[in-house]
Amino acid sequence: MASEPMSVGSSAQDPPPVPHATSQEPKYGGHTRFELELEFVQALGNPEYVNYLASRKFLQNPAFVAYLDYLQYWTRPPYLQYITYPTSCLKMLELLQVERFRKDILSPNLTHALITEGMKAAVEWHRESLS
Amino acid sequence: MDKKLDASFERVEKALAVLIDSMTKFTPSEKAANDVVKAERELFLGLEELEVHQRNVVRIKQLKQETEAFDAQTKQTISALWEMRKELVAVAPTKFSPAKEEKYPFTTQQLLDYARRISRNTLPPPGVTNGVDLSTAAPTTPDDQAATGPSASFATSIGGGGGSGQGTAASTPAPGVQDSFVSQGPSQSQTGATELPVHLKPAVNPLENAPFFTFPTIDRIRSGALAQYQDLVNRGIDPKNYDPEEEERRLKQEEQDRKDAEERARREREEQDRRMREERERMARERELARQQQQQQEGGMDRRGSVLAPGQGGGQPGRAAPKQFTFLDEDDDDEDED
Repeated sequence: MASEPMSVGSSAQDPPPVPHATSQEPKYGGHTRFELELEFVQALGNPEYVNYLASRKFLQNPAFVAYLDYLQYWTRPPYLQYITYPTSCLKMLELLQVERFRKDILSPNLTHALITEGMKAAVEWHRESLS
Repeated sequence: MDKKLDASFERVEKALAVLIDSMTKFTPSEKAANDVVKAERELFLGLEELEVHQRNVVRIKQLKQETEAFDAQTKQTISALWEMRKELVAVAPTKFSPAKEEKYPFTTQQLLDYARRISRNTLPPPGVTNGVDLSTAAPTTPDDQAATGPSASFATSIGGGGGSGQGTAASTPAPGVQDSFVSQGPSQSQTGATELPVHLKPAVNPLENAPFFTFPTIDRIRSGALAQYQDLVNRGIDPKNYDPEEEERRLKQEEQDRKDAEERARREREEQDRRMREERERMARERELARQQQQQQEGGMDRRGSVLAPGQGGGQPGRAAPKQFTFLDEDDDDEDED
């Protein structure tokens, strides 16, 4: 998964610490790095947003690709428990590690298909598990 | 041992030869016969000894074999140990590497909390279909029947019955008891109005045609912390260590401080004005007093003169009054100028 040529390995920076009531993290615009990265990684679950990022050529930037690789710490504990949109967000994070997908998501057709299929799956997985 | 036995045999043979020899000469010697018996006894003793010897040899052989077996076993064990040690040394690095993947123990309560947190983003609310035809696969569990039962049964009645909607709905109710109860209710009370519930359905269900996403919508992303961050960057503010709330609080504090300072300055000014006014009034009173004293002195002189002309004394206060008011007027004017 992470062996494609564009991947630059793990970022030098460590994941932000898990928030505590007493922690004094530096704030960026009033939010900690933990909060900003959590919001970003969940926003990636939205195919429209990823399509927007692709259209702004972010997904072609090696530094951004390295950042996507770095964001995979959200798939592991103890960070995993803070994600409230786990289904789409984690899958998208996984897909975004693949170079082919980073190119393909530029297509509006794929974006639309991802949204409609996602909506359908959101209803059907539950019914399947019941029947 | 062999030599000893050979010697015994030889002795027996010799004794026997001497005996036979003596017998052939027809002079049997008793001594020769005793010699044979003695030699034979020694031979038997030797043979017994040989037996013991042979047994010992066998035992020695057996022990040797055992020793060899134990030696082999020891060697094998040692080589196995060595192999194992080598393997352990080779395995050691891989044993340390998975130390990163720590186990994160969690309680049932935490798991349930997480399930509750994510459920609103993973499970659509009852009635939200996202355009999926729910009638194709009827739900089977009673839990789900309560939630989607009515819509599923209505969809079946419309799709399957076509024109004769009412007949279909009434004659072939859904298999579940709950379903039949729900679907028959409206159709029996409102005769010939099977379509009505279908018309009413969107009105009754606020979630009709409401989409359900398993990801944050664009609007939500636009109103999030990242958008605020971008906004700060657009305004040319470095977001690092910049907290809008903190900034707002600071501005408010500054505003409050400024107001306080203004208020203090105003009070001081008023105080000063008041003091000046009092000073002026005091001076005015003193002047007035001095004037009155002067007048009294003049009055005394007048009174002394008024004996001759009483009309002049009555007119004196009338003359002083305008003077007094004139003075006050002037004072007021001064104040206005201030």
